[in-house]
Amino acid sequence: MEAKYDFARKYRKDILLCSRCGYCQAVCPCFGATLRPSLNARGKMLLLKEVMDGEIPLSDELIETLFQCTTCGACHENCPSGVDVPKIIKAARKDMVHIGSCHPAFTGMNKVLSEHTNIYAETDPADLDRERGRKAPYVYFVGCVGLYREEDATAAALALLDRLEVDFTLVDEVCCSGVLEDVGFNLNQNLTSKNVEAILATGAHTVITSCPYCFRTLNGKAEYAPLREAGVKILHISQFLADQDFNGVSTGKKVTYHDPCDLGRHCGIYEEPRATIRKFAPNFVEMEHHHAKSLCCGSGGGARGAYPKNSVAMAKNRLAEALATEADVLLTECGSCVHNLSNAKLRSQKIRIVNTVEFLNELLEDAD
Amino acid sequence: MEMKGYNMPEDLYYEENHYWVKPEGDLLVMGMDDFAQRLAGEIVYVQLPEDGKEIKKGKKFAKVESGKWLGKVNGPVDGEIAAVNEELEENPGLINSDCYGKGWMFKIKPADPAQIEELIKGAAAIEAWLTADIEKYAS
Repeated sequence: MEAKYDFARKYRKDILLCSRCGYCQAVCPCFGATLRPSLNARGKMLLLKEVMDGEIPLSDELIETLFQCTTCGACHENCPSGVDVPKIIKAARKDMVHIGSCHPAFTGMNKVLSEHTNIYAETDPADLDRERGRKAPYVYFVGCVGLYREEDATAAALALLDRLEVDFTLVDEVCCSGVLEDVGFNLNQNLTSKNVEAILATGAHTVITSCPYCFRTLNGKAEYAPLREAGVKILHISQFLADQDFNGVSTGKKVTYHDPCDLGRHCGIYEEPRATIRKFAPNFVEMEHHHAKSLCCGSGGGARGAYPKNSVAMAKNRLAEALATEADVLLTECGSCVHNLSNAKLRSQKIRIVNTVEFLNELLEDAD
Repeated sequence: MEMKGYNMPEDLYYEENHYWVKPEGDLLVMGMDDFAQRLAGEIVYVQLPEDGKEIKKGKKFAKVESGKWLGKVNGPVDGEIAAVNEELEENPGLINSDCYGKGWMFKIKPADPAQIEELIKGAAAIEAWLTADIEKYAS
């Protein structure tokens, strides 16, 4: 019998691989914050099997379970059967959107990106006081979070690149629009082509970005293939900094590091951020879950926009691990992680949550 | 007072970005109004400054967040923070459920108590301002 939905055509075998063992439940941030079985991978696979078998239709009733997932990949990492849950979820979301069942936050996000240059629909980005579109060997791509939420981290990244004498330019960038594919839509080709055009016009051989999600999108999505085909290398800033020297600056503070899902599990970048941190923070400790086992901060996969209360609850759970290390500072390489973890922090909790680049830049400035 | 579907008590003063202000002894109490909390959606974070922080009329001193929205909270008058509602740390949703009561946000010690008279006050002024903002943001 011909499968009714695209997700079933592509992933029937994968869904049937789920042995209902529940190993995913132990690492699922959504389940950890809510204790609801339908929100973790096993529950989702059970429901999708029911859909495949024609027992239940895809409908609005499934919005909450199918659209409440950070797509962090912890389930996949922990699954003895190797079920790639994030891929299946994204395909099912596309089918949901196709039949007109979508979380309003994501329908809204798609609309926002058809009318605006960023996911927040805001019109006053950080004033970076930099030339844009100059001919230069490097482009620094900021991303929406860096422009509209974590402006201090962006300013620090630019200052650090100046300090390292990197000849870079900003561009008239717009949202990479990668998030749309996570939430059931397609990348916005109007936006992606603007970014491609702006970057190619600089003649740059390398794009550096601090946003793991922009990094994944520019480095992997078909819409950005023209960059790669032109020989443009896409780097996350942690990859760039791993080979740099920082004149022996050091902090006596106890430091820990949160692996962002988009950088770690999704891109395999674990050691480069640590190589940089160890250069300036000899008193480094790992959290209980780190590298591929890192717990998600709760902000990805559209979760922060659609289920903000649960998203911040997930961040609280991750922050608890950081607090348990008794570290003074929690570093990470993702602006969305910084933002969500910071929202979860109580005033009485004295750990500082900051982007690695921002912290490093402060050390360098203090040493001047 | 019910006004165009929103609860907007007419005995309060209003800062133009939809924060209500009410004298309480020597202090002013400030919170988000019903129009703003409904537009914002589920509030998940309120930045709570330290007591004594100086605030300036029209200048941002805190932020409020829901989902992807971030709202700047501007000083309604010159002064300093006298107290913050610490309940909002663990339960920022009080702003949604009881924006004029348990969801109060800040208490301000004004530099000049008379400066409050520069805010929006009275049924006619409130209605005109609200009508314009409904057209701008909620239609």
